[in-house]
Amino acid sequence: MSPYLFRLELRLLARERGVWVLLALFAAALLYGLGNGAQLHARQSQITAQLNRAATDRAVQVRDFLGRQSLDAQAVAGRGEIAILSPAPLPLLATGQSDLVPGHQVISVWNLSAPAETRSELENPSVLLAGRFDLAFVLVWLFPLFLVAFVHDLAAGDRESGTLRLGLAQGITPGRWLAHRALARALPVLGLAALGTLAAGVVSDSAAAMHRVALAVAVVLAYGLFWVALAIAVNAVARSAAGAATALGAAWVLLVLVVPTLLNVAVETLYPTPSRAELVAAGRKASGDAEKRGIELLNSFYRDHPELAPPDQQADFAARHLTVQTEVGRAVEPVRQRFDDQLARQQTAVGRWRFLSPAIATYEALTDLAGTGYWRHRAFHDQTAEFKSAIHDFFSPKVHQRAPITLADYDRLPRFAFREEPASAWAARVGAGVAGVLTLTAALGWWTWRRLRPARAGQLAG
Amino acid sequence: MIFSIARKEFIDAWRDGRFRWAAAIIVGLLGVASLLALQQVQRTRSERAAATAMERENWLSQGQKNSHSAGHYGVYVFKPLPPLAMLDRGIEPFVGTTVFLEAHRQNQAAFVPAQDATATRRFGELTVATGLQLLAPLLIVLLTFGALAGERERGTLRQVLSLGVRPRDLVLGKALGLGSVVFVLVLPVGLFGAIALQTFPGGEVPGGWARLAGLGCAYALYLAAMLAFCLAVSAVMPTSRAALAMLLVFWSANAILAPRLSTDIVQRVLPTPKLAEFEGDLQKALQGGLDGHNSRDQRLQELAQKVLREHGKTRIEELPFNFQGLAMLESERMADEVFDEHYGRLWDRLEAQDRAVTWTGLVAPLLAIRSASMALAGTDFTHHRRFSVAAENHRRAFVRVLNENMMSSHGGHHAVAGRELWEKLPAFTYDPPLADAGLAAAKPGLIVLILWAVGAWAALCWAAPRLNPN
Repeated sequence: MSPYLFRLELRLLARERGVWVLLALFAAALLYGLGNGAQLHARQSQITAQLNRAATDRAVQVRDFLGRQSLDAQAVAGRGEIAILSPAPLPLLATGQSDLVPGHQVISVWNLSAPAETRSELENPSVLLAGRFDLAFVLVWLFPLFLVAFVHDLAAGDRESGTLRLGLAQGITPGRWLAHRALARALPVLGLAALGTLAAGVVSDSAAAMHRVALAVAVVLAYGLFWVALAIAVNAVARSAAGAATALGAAWVLLVLVVPTLLNVAVETLYPTPSRAELVAAGRKASGDAEKRGIELLNSFYRDHPELAPPDQQADFAARHLTVQTEVGRAVEPVRQRFDDQLARQQTAVGRWRFLSPAIATYEALTDLAGTGYWRHRAFHDQTAEFKSAIHDFFSPKVHQRAPITLADYDRLPRFAFREEPASAWAARVGAGVAGVLTLTAALGWWTWRRLRPARAGQLAG
Repeated sequence: MIFSIARKEFIDAWRDGRFRWAAAIIVGLLGVASLLALQQVQRTRSERAAATAMERENWLSQGQKNSHSAGHYGVYVFKPLPPLAMLDRGIEPFVGTTVFLEAHRQNQAAFVPAQDATATRRFGELTVATGLQLLAPLLIVLLTFGALAGERERGTLRQVLSLGVRPRDLVLGKALGLGSVVFVLVLPVGLFGAIALQTFPGGEVPGGWARLAGLGCAYALYLAAMLAFCLAVSAVMPTSRAALAMLLVFWSANAILAPRLSTDIVQRVLPTPKLAEFEGDLQKALQGGLDGHNSRDQRLQELAQKVLREHGKTRIEELPFNFQGLAMLESERMADEVFDEHYGRLWDRLEAQDRAVTWTGLVAPLLAIRSASMALAGTDFTHHRRFSVAAENHRRAFVRVLNENMMSSHGGHHAVAGRELWEKLPAFTYDPPLADAGLAAAKPGLIVLILWAVGAWAALCWAAPRLNPN
């Protein structure tokens, strides 16, 4: 490392007119992304707070009532419980899936087998199509463009002006010359990106969130270093600054625009999900059949579970509905399971192939750290399924036996509380992402280093 | 002279190895995108058609039950995917595909495909439309940045002009030559669209040809505007490097920044209401009536009094028909007014947002072509709204028939109906709007594109005589 060369490059950089404009633009984009994230986060936390308040009010109401008298199980069960996904730990970092996938679900004993509760927040579909201008967008899409603007011309300009020969005559190897220049020129952009990422942690004060912020900075720096390494590699072979810029621009289009969409197409073709229409139609057919056999089904159910039969052996509408519903659940379960499995396979494939483009690896890591990615929403989905079973197991016997709910039952009423994934799970995924991007960077570095052995200094100097 | 220059440019472009590579990649991607999209559209359409048939069978064979119970059993309808979604999927991945029609409630379309996809879907989709909107302009930038600025740097511009070639001929010749290159590259996509439309399973697509022609015109306008704009920049900029830098900045602002930035700004000016607020207002209006003074119960009581007076009876049970049925009819009618008002307002707001984004296309033409292309392909919000309205009208008709049946039956809640009544309710069929509706929805986008094309060509014509050879 030559501190002199490094400082000289920084000083030269500071004197370039455009540099300050570009840095200001990048800083503005980061701030705008953060501000947008904060706005969306405020909106979402307001909604979550409202829902939580509603859930608490409801619970208090039920308890007060139970303090006075027992309640019919059907009445309590029919009101439904809200399963709420707790606010993301680092929402300013990435919007991810949070504007698309519903963050709450009302579950009552009567809708356990409903095809799905898809009441998501009202949103103009064009907004979802365009995507959000959030911090992740600035970091994954724009950050490499700014880096390229800074480091695309590392050798060609100097070659044309003759300073490259002069520099190399000082005894520095071509590789070190390029690396020094690239790192010094990239430093302000890398620094701003790291600062922006740190700022995403301002709304969170928990220690766990701080770990996430630290990892996010590592992800962003690894991604930045990949682009710097790519710029050095391109400069080692490019004949002109315009050629280097074009090659880097093409690499950006391929890695950020094209490869992710191709990967999408590939996983959806390899692991197609069954159609939702099929799921709905299968459920409806099952429910039609089950309804027609309602009484018969219920009688056979009571034969299997004599302990649940009502005291007068007279089945009522609610009991019949529950049995029909269980039957429907059983019928659609295979289709639903196939659906969930295929989707998980798609995401696993994305996880495996994300290193085809560091942009995918970085985006996945940032949404994972923000808590707005696929896996946290998947955990919510799975936990709601468990919660449905809990609701069924609790209320079903009471509805069948027409047993009332008393104050003694209050503490045993199923309540939903989202359990965060263990830190080891997300840390492992993100860690693998960072390691992958760094490996790609190292591979590029090794190739460039071989290419720029001191013996080939003449080739670079032209 | 213009044609000789055009010919030279055309041949030059093909001789450039880098261009051949870029063109091969882009055409390859467009080819893959087209084939996969065609397959996907056909699969989705047949899946939804099968589900529709199965649902009809479910409805018909639901057995004997009270007609109001049948209203709650309801019907699912599935949105047919427009055939031209194979070229532009538009907002289809982000809107629901299925509507549950039931008594008392207007439901929103459920099952948003993007919810059932991996998170990388948010990187965008590979379709013919995104290829033409994002990648084709990039190819034009690569083709044109050095067309005039490069000649100036090499000194050939001075030579050509000294031969007596008029600057305007030179510029027009280059535009024609490079335009033909782009045309040759894009032509297979148009042919693919035509062949796919001609051989589309299920017979002729109503309005398909007019829509395809409209799409062709919209993209021709967009790419022509891009070509002229890029050439004008190349004519004005002192060096090809400066022209390239300027054009790349323009391309990224247009393709990457503008879509997010403009929707974002429009959302601030015309915000979408929150679900809780929307539903709160809706519930309030359903209970208290649209004016908020005359509650639902009160109005039903007034109806009962009026009917009793008309029939000269004192008790509801004495009426010659089932009053419950009439009450249901009236209550549905009142609810429908509320739904029309509230959903109408919400959808008007979303359409206004989309229109505003389209007009920001005056700064970034991508927004205009995106809007026009979705509208012509039948995959924009306006078309989705038409489907939602059609589904809602079907719901109303079907609930009305059930309630009328209830009114004429005397068993009250215990009266049962059977297959005969279920068959009276027609199956839901959706006739997608014809081409004129698509054209109307695409109008703002097309106007912006025309303005861009005229402006860019005017700029090029202005720059041509002022071409500086040094």
